[in-house]
Amino acid sequence: MLGASKTAFEIAVADYLDDLYRYAYWLCRDRWLAEDLAQETVLRAWRGWSRLREARAVKGWLFTILYREFVRSAARKRMESEPAEALRSEPYGHADPALAIDLDRALRGLGEDSRHAILLQVLGGFSCAEIAAVLGSSEGAVMTRLTRARQALRRSLEPGETDREANEA
Amino acid sequence: MNCLEFRRIALADPRRLEAEAAGHAERCAGCKDFLVRSLEAEARLASALRVPVPRGLRARLLDRSAFPRRPLRRLALAAGLVIAVAITLVIGWPRNDPLALAGIDFVMFEEAQAIADAKPTDAAVLARVAHHMGVSLPEQLGEVRYVGTCPFAGTTAYHVLVKSPLGKVTLLLVPERPLASRAVASAHGLEAAIVPAVAGSVAIIGGSGRSISRVETLLKSS
Repeated sequence: MLGASKTAFEIAVADYLDDLYRYAYWLCRDRWLAEDLAQETVLRAWRGWSRLREARAVKGWLFTILYREFVRSAARKRMESEPAEALRSEPYGHADPALAIDLDRALRGLGEDSRHAILLQVLGGFSCAEIAAVLGSSEGAVMTRLTRARQALRRSLEPGETDREANEA
Repeated sequence: MNCLEFRRIALADPRRLEAEAAGHAERCAGCKDFLVRSLEAEARLASALRVPVPRGLRARLLDRSAFPRRPLRRLALAAGLVIAVAITLVIGWPRNDPLALAGIDFVMFEEAQAIADAKPTDAAVLARVAHHMGVSLPEQLGEVRYVGTCPFAGTTAYHVLVKSPLGKVTLLLVPERPLASRAVASAHGLEAAIVPAVAGSVAIIGGSGRSISRVETLLKSS
């Protein structure tokens, strides 16, 4: 069992908080909502901390909690009939705001599952098998989503490069 | 493994290739090139997704009331440290000019929204404004990616986003805001200089002092 103290919890989760926030940010596209989502994730993680057995499972566990919390909050919004457009595009403090806007648009063009898969892999560094576990899907399905997501993102963000590859094929 | 299978695997997870796929890339020049380009694209995507994390986020996430309170002794130690840092900052930190700092704040907190909200301005209008202000906008500045107007420092500024060879630079041309002398600021990892023009002033905000100096030199080149 892992250390039960708050210090042990803080040490275990500290390295993942930045990427956890970034994952939340690209799901919500709003830094305040993203911080709330990350906060809720950390609180839930702390409550369940005593049940966690392995240190190497911490990262996957945190991202899974955030993913579920996001799905729950998205479902609540749908029940409240809040239009999806209420989610704002707000590339806060990005070094290249124009790129952030393009990226946001490209991510929104992906299906929900593909968006989760690519964010989990690029930001969280998860393998296809680990992403499948988070999303409750098969590894093959995740590979297909990631392949399509990368193709779509490259078409949107690097059209010249995609044309070049098409010409070479 | 054939090339089609390799490319499918490389697109699914380019950073985690198994031995068979890595071996294929070694033998096939086309797939090796594809892998290199995929890894470059992956690095660009990762960099673009790494939005800045709000200051103090880690502390806020870990220190909410749901957790047990820290012992007072540690709080006192932290307070002492904060005071020491504050004294160091007050004594040793260069003064930020409020207007230049407003330029940095604009880039950090408002620029993206300004781009999303504003109707882009015609480049010819920008050229007329620059001419009126006595400012040069030569091609060497870099690729102008956006021109629009935005509120800044109580007046209207012409907002120009330039992709320069030294990185992204934001220019705010403020015809109605005269300035006596050049001023600078540094915050949030950005540098800013606000320089007087024949009419009004120009704020230059970028990631490094070098990129700002370059733009400043070019603006004065007419």
